[in-house]
Amino acid sequence: MEAVAEPTEGMRENILELRDISFSYSMRGGEKLRVFDNLSLSVSYAEFLGIAGPSGCGKSTLLRIMAGLLKPDNGGVLFRGKPLKEPTPRISMMFQSPALFPWYTVLENVMLALIHEKELTRREKEERVRVFLDIVGLMGFEAAYPAELSGGMRQRVALARALVAQPDLLLMDEPFSNLDPLTAISLRREIETLWMNQSLPPSSVVMVSHDIEELVELSDTIIVLTKRPAKIAGIVKIDMERPRSRRSREFYEYVDKVYTLLG
Amino acid sequence: MAQEFLEILLALGFSWARMTIALLLSILFSLCVGILAGVNRVAEKIIIPILDVLQSIPILSFFPLALYIFIGIHPIIGPEAAAIFLIFTSQAWNIAFGVYEAVKLIPTNILESVRSLGLGALRRIRNLYIPAAFPRIAANIPPSWANGLYFLVACEIITIGEAEWRLFGIGTVSTGFMLAGKIPQFFISLAAVMIAVVLSNIFLFIPLMRLSERYKFEEYAAEAPRVWIERVTKSISGVIGKLLADRKIPSYASASQIISRFSSMVRKNKILASAFVVMAVAALSIYAISSINVLYYLEVVASGLGRFGLVDPLVMIGFSLSRVASAVLIGLTWVIPVSILIYERRRLEKILVPLFQVLASLPATLLMPLIVALVLEAKLSLETGAVIMVLLGTQWYLFFFISGAMRGIPREEEELCRLLKIRGLKKFRHLYFPRIFPSLIMGCLVAVGGGWNTLVIAERVVLDDFIWEVENPGIGKALSGAVMRGDVGILTAATIWMAGFIVILNRFLWRRLYQKATRLLV
Ligand SMILES: Nc1ncnc2c1ncn2[C@@H]1O[C@H](COP(=O)(O)OP(=O)(O)O)[C@@H](O)[C@H]1O
Ligand SMILES: [Mg+2]
Repeated sequence: MEAVAEPTEGMRENILELRDISFSYSMRGGEKLRVFDNLSLSVSYAEFLGIAGPSGCGKSTLLRIMAGLLKPDNGGVLFRGKPLKEPTPRISMMFQSPALFPWYTVLENVMLALIHEKELTRREKEERVRVFLDIVGLMGFEAAYPAELSGGMRQRVALARALVAQPDLLLMDEPFSNLDPLTAISLRREIETLWMNQSLPPSSVVMVSHDIEELVELSDTIIVLTKRPAKIAGIVKIDMERPRSRRSREFYEYVDKVYTLLG
Repeated sequence: MAQEFLEILLALGFSWARMTIALLLSILFSLCVGILAGVNRVAEKIIIPILDVLQSIPILSFFPLALYIFIGIHPIIGPEAAAIFLIFTSQAWNIAFGVYEAVKLIPTNILESVRSLGLGALRRIRNLYIPAAFPRIAANIPPSWANGLYFLVACEIITIGEAEWRLFGIGTVSTGFMLAGKIPQFFISLAAVMIAVVLSNIFLFIPLMRLSERYKFEEYAAEAPRVWIERVTKSISGVIGKLLADRKIPSYASASQIISRFSSMVRKNKILASAFVVMAVAALSIYAISSINVLYYLEVVASGLGRFGLVDPLVMIGFSLSRVASAVLIGLTWVIPVSILIYERRRLEKILVPLFQVLASLPATLLMPLIVALVLEAKLSLETGAVIMVLLGTQWYLFFFISGAMRGIPREEEELCRLLKIRGLKKFRHLYFPRIFPSLIMGCLVAVGGGWNTLVIAERVVLDDFIWEVENPGIGKALSGAVMRGDVGILTAATIWMAGFIVILNRFLWRRLYQKATRLLV
């Protein structure tokens, strides 16, 4: 087990930096769809960063760039100070859909994330997977197939898989958008607890969401993006005690602030 | 040369006309049968197994029988009608299955709302079932066309015993060139077929498919492969759409008007109409039955089955199966890596897929004279030649099934593999193989089915007076030989054995495997 990276120079040290990145998709017929033009932003160690923006502005694309799945046309991505050339197990990502392999059990799905851990025996891997299934509240479902689980449980499996390799940075793309409200509440609690627990991964989290209240509840910082090509419309720092109550006046002021930036 | 060029064009015209008539008949047949099976439980129980068996029977084997019947009906129109019938049998089944599935898959909320409107049966057919089936019909036309082309070449020359029929068409013309040693002309005729297929696709099939996309119920219609012809076809389907909207040409709307007018006529004269239908059917079947003596035929078949024995057919099937199996395995060894390559390098898709589509449009039957010449040249045995011919006839099924399945892999699953650094063989094991498995089985089912058909012409090559047989036994060799001798008994016996074996293989191997595979992928 690798030690979780600690901030060395206080909160200003960045775990991930995007410097002047541009990105466009090539469309059919050779046209370009410009998603980003010289966008810069950074994620600090131990930070919970929320990202909001109109739909189709490029939030998912941004996460894919952060994960190393997509290369920016221009500009650089720095992970812990070094250029990020390809995906690394230190950064994990939860997609909008759970993306579980239907032909594998819960245990096998999560274990895939340990496929390159050569020094672990199969037993040790299983042990580790069980620990994380316990953390996300899925103990006893190891042998179940994804088709037998509810949407919330599948998302929990995806979370366990994202955490089991103990990444430093967790990227989440609208992780609660397909869940019923009650499940979403409990899963949000779990992610917050995990992130706050210093001895457990991940150190930093980036979460994309269109649910502003959810973002205000969890984030240290919220970055609001504009329409395509996306620029930063504004940054909202949230200075509230955790766990945050959605009922307080302060909470609503933050929510209002973000909505104003979204226009 | 100019004269021969004209000959090729004319022959293409004749062949295309046969194919078009057969295709229209196939669509009509599919609508009747597919909708009936889709809405009526009892009809479904009868129709679907029959279609399944018909689909499995090697078409070339019952062609001579059909020819006997059609020639009995009329000596001149007969062979032509028989050829069209043969092409029809190669085009109809997959369209019929497509219509049936489309009708079955109509969302229940739509069915309920239509029911609540209280529409009559014919109205429902016109306003719901036909539009619902349209996308599947359009999607099935290109493979049906390719299939028809394959048999078209085989049925333009038919020899039964002493008698021989030749129909003027691209098959006879191109084989004639090869036999006369006119190699450039032979290749020109091949090129002409390819160009004709590509043009038919660009100007008719693909626009039709684009047009049919708006009839799809799925929210996210599966994306068709985007190729360079995209822009051309888009504008053509736009034009067709406008023409349909302006009703300048007999359109779907006016066709449905005719149907509804006809239906109201029928409704008014119910008894008269049904009496007419019963009489027509009775007259036709009496005519057909009287032209062949049924009892005599049954006797011939029984004796044929007796003469054919029990062990010989099994040995023949064993040899034939090994030929088909090795061709399919050879096909898979290039198809799987190439499909993966195309999936991972999207740029290759733009080049290779259209190229493969054009190559696939060239029927293996048309290439047969060339293969035979090459195999003879290389001093190889016909065993090799037969496997090559089966490979040529089946590899594209494998390719299009498997690359289609690859295209359907969810983006996130592939990205997950990249995140977890699952690559190479591991990626094949964890992602690609499970995802393509159902299509792999379906592809094999279809490829093996097509392979049996090819065997009829590949195990015993007949090019005019040139005859070349494989040394080892083969069910295709037996069939082809029986056709040559005019031995209806053995012909029918071999057909029954072959079809029976294929049906058993489909039922007990492929379908079981397929069900297992799809159950895993819920
Ligand atoms: N693979 C792709 N190819 C082409 N365009 C894409 C692709 N993925 C996304 N897009 C387009 O890029 C834009 C940004 O997409 P996305 O990042 O998914 O937005 P968001 O997550 O903010 O809704 C959208 O207009 C979308 O249609
Ligand atoms: Mg998104």
